[in-house]
Amino acid sequence: MDQASVVSGLRSFVPELSLLGTSAVSLLIHLFFRKRGRRWAGLVSLAGFLAAAALLVLGPRSTGEIFSGSLSADGFALFFKLSFLLAGVLAVLLSFRFFDVEGSEPGEVYVLMPLAIAGMMAAVASVDLVSTYVAFELFAIPSYILAGIFKKDPRSGEAGIKYFFLGTLSSGIMLLGMALIFGLTGETGYAAISGSLAAGSRIALAGMILVFAGLFFKAAMVPFHMWAPDVYEGAPTPLVVFLSTAPKAAVFAIMVRLIAVVFNRYEVEWRLIFQVIAVLTMFWGNIAALLQKSVKRLMAYSSIAQAGYIAIGLAAWGEPARQAILFYVFVYVIMNAAAFGMILFIRKGDTFGESIDDFRGLARKSPLAAASLLVVLLSLTGIPPTAGFMGKYFLFAAAVEKGMVLLAAAGAVNSVISLFYYFRIGRAIFFEDAQAGPPLDRSLGPLLVVAAAALALLVLGIFPSLLGQPAALSGLGR
Amino acid sequence: MTILGIPILTGIAFLPLAGLVLVLLIPGRRAGAIKAAANIIAGLEFLATLALLVKFDPGSAEMQFVERADWIRAFHVQYLLGIDGISLLLVLLTSLLAFLATLSSWRAITGRVKEYYVFMLLLEAGMIGVFISLDLVLFYVFWEVMLVPMYFLIGIWGGERRLYAAIKFFLYTLFGSVVMLVGILVLYFQYHTFDLMAMLQRGSVLPLALQSWVFLAFFLGFAIKVPMFPFHTWLPDAHVEAPTAGSVLLAGVLLKMGTYGFVRFSLPLFPEASRKFVPLLVALALISIVYGALVSLMQKDMKKLIAYSSVSHMGFVMLGIFTFSPMAVKGAVLQMINHGISTGALFLIVGVLYERRHTRLISEFGGLSSRLPLYAAVFLIMTLSSIGLPGLNGFIGEFMILMGAWNVNWVWAAVAASGIILGAAYMFWLYQRVMFGRLENPANQSLKDLSARELATFLPLIVLVFWIGVFPKPFLHLIDKPVEKIIRIVNPAVAPKDTLIGPGPGDGSSRPATPAEVR
Repeated sequence: MDQASVVSGLRSFVPELSLLGTSAVSLLIHLFFRKRGRRWAGLVSLAGFLAAAALLVLGPRSTGEIFSGSLSADGFALFFKLSFLLAGVLAVLLSFRFFDVEGSEPGEVYVLMPLAIAGMMAAVASVDLVSTYVAFELFAIPSYILAGIFKKDPRSGEAGIKYFFLGTLSSGIMLLGMALIFGLTGETGYAAISGSLAAGSRIALAGMILVFAGLFFKAAMVPFHMWAPDVYEGAPTPLVVFLSTAPKAAVFAIMVRLIAVVFNRYEVEWRLIFQVIAVLTMFWGNIAALLQKSVKRLMAYSSIAQAGYIAIGLAAWGEPARQAILFYVFVYVIMNAAAFGMILFIRKGDTFGESIDDFRGLARKSPLAAASLLVVLLSLTGIPPTAGFMGKYFLFAAAVEKGMVLLAAAGAVNSVISLFYYFRIGRAIFFEDAQAGPPLDRSLGPLLVVAAAALALLVLGIFPSLLGQPAALSGLGR
Repeated sequence: MTILGIPILTGIAFLPLAGLVLVLLIPGRRAGAIKAAANIIAGLEFLATLALLVKFDPGSAEMQFVERADWIRAFHVQYLLGIDGISLLLVLLTSLLAFLATLSSWRAITGRVKEYYVFMLLLEAGMIGVFISLDLVLFYVFWEVMLVPMYFLIGIWGGERRLYAAIKFFLYTLFGSVVMLVGILVLYFQYHTFDLMAMLQRGSVLPLALQSWVFLAFFLGFAIKVPMFPFHTWLPDAHVEAPTAGSVLLAGVLLKMGTYGFVRFSLPLFPEASRKFVPLLVALALISIVYGALVSLMQKDMKKLIAYSSVSHMGFVMLGIFTFSPMAVKGAVLQMINHGISTGALFLIVGVLYERRHTRLISEFGGLSSRLPLYAAVFLIMTLSSIGLPGLNGFIGEFMILMGAWNVNWVWAAVAASGIILGAAYMFWLYQRVMFGRLENPANQSLKDLSARELATFLPLIVLVFWIGVFPKPFLHLIDKPVEKIIRIVNPAVAPKDTLIGPGPGDGSSRPATPAEVR
């Protein structure tokens, strides 16, 4: 790697660098200003996210590869990077009220989140096995800490440990797969591997399966999802907004690059794998969600099922699928943020109400909250005119285009199953007595976040081209 | 055609939504203002749909007032509206019933008034949208949007088992719809457009095997909505639990969407598959007719009785559609309107009693005719309309369907005719038990007859019952050409000359195809 290429590469790497800077500044503020400083650290990270987003959108576009072919700053990566920043912004906004009520604010959150996002941004741009793995760990390790950071709640510690052990195991599996691929080809660059990876090699197939297994783990795809409900239930709610969306999205981007470039000679195999995984994930996530009483756990399973829909897009990879995936990932971030954000609506002493019963009569207590949640629930189910419908519609269309009609039908049937549990919440909110539930939290913050999310879902549902047009232009670079 | 610069179809689709925003802006405690606003908007909407008649050319089979704009360019989805005579009649029925349903809610709805009218207006927008969309995705969006307000109308303002009924309705119909969505997507990748008119212009391009699958996917979506036996089980629950206005719109309009879907989409898009599945569809229609009527005979609850009678009546409509004879299909379309009028009115009639007595059990009543003469008269007219007494609207539709069916296969007509006899039995028996005899139940002693507002809600329906019964020509004139156009696609064997109450069965020149020819 010569000096000139590093310097020119750094120019496209400014947003990531700014996030690293944000993380460092947050750390210093957090350390030196003690109590008060935690909130300031949060504001700094918020500002850092917005600045990084601005740099991404306004900064110089380079479609070529940077750092001697280890990263590619293409439109596809840009789209994902923005979705991580969105998840970060929503999570930080929700964190403020959450930690206020809970009475303790771990400031490290605001240090780790920019770090994790920097890692994800590198991961989605990676076109080389080594940089992919390094970037993967760069976001994985902060996520383990984020899950376990809330010392007040013993569930959080358990979540962190569980996430850490199973997460490192999955990284190891993925690394083993990468080693096999490297051993076969002697290359680490995606394009180079693709050129020298012969079709029909069992070792390559084993390597591919191992790499995907590691990634499925991180994306909580069934049957590698066991950790997810516990982690999502245990981790602090606003951080779940982040943990249940951004890392998954990053993994989807990695998988897309792998199937589109590296394993293009194993198309039959990976199409089959993703079809199976998509069906398992949707059905398992949705059916398990039927049995939940806690909104948090229900939404945990729902987020698993939602990721299953995205896997439809991977199985049906192609031009329509690319746009559909980009569209749905963005919408997924918004929907999930709102779905977990609703848990900050109901106050129960010095914590928040998490059971479905706590939401009884919300429509009477706060019509705005209820109306917003209605839009969010419709979007999660996939009923027009919401972005969730449009996203699912694009994904199903991509599947039908590739002749996978039954896969699309499975997705469609799943949206009916999901209606049943989403509208158990809807039923509590709208149909049941107002006097029954605990009181509303008086803070406006989470309500505004969820209402804004609902508005966005509605606007994108009616004018999907607002997001679809940029998605169409965000192709994979060469 | 535009009104105040707004293209008229967009106008009638979005006027209820604009009204919805208006209602949202009125503070919740001013219930009177909310009610007034909602009623005025529903009334304006009816007038706006009437204005369609001014420039509408009834002699044309083509879509009129077409509006076209790109919606989702990447997927070739368009904002495409247009109506022909069939849609026009259904739009008029929708706006009329929605207005009357809104009017009838004035005193019936006391809790959560604002939400109620918001959902009513949303429902109306969805219903109108379904009947005027010509892009399959747009159609699907309206089709689904409408489920949400109906779910809430049943779930919030419904009867005792409303929670169960609401989710059952939602799950059933959503299931049918999503399967249809997959069918729509398959269709898209054959035609590369969602534009119904463009699809019809290209003609049927799908091989029969694929066509059959897509037909079945659409069938599931539509048959659940109609509902045909064995997909009807959501209907009695939804009807019984829904508030009166909800039942009126459910029976009057929502069920028509299923049969409308068959006429508008299934027949012309999948002509070969439609012909192939005639035995299945006709069998289900006949079962619906007889089964619905038999179950109606045994009901103790008035609302449930009328709900099951809808299964029977909609079976007639389905039978008419799947004979593919112009007369029967016209009869079926007319019967959709007739059923909307008479069943809508019957639910209002039950609602009147329920508002006063808070029960719908037939055994609670008896001898009401002496105490409520006006009510008895209205009830009688609607009962007679429902059973198809000559001179009233129901007769025309049923007669045309039976004639058409007879020409194709006399067994079908014979079985269907038994439904009419059973229909007379359960309706007269209902009327007798509620209205005649001695007024014995002391709770009924102080019942009040129809108020002026209530009478006003019934008046337009009564006028229509007689108008269609005596002089159906203007109505049939609207649907003549569009129906013939569809028949030409699905059943070219039939000469399109066969018009209004056309030549009898002996006339060979316009003999509809026998099933053998059809296949």
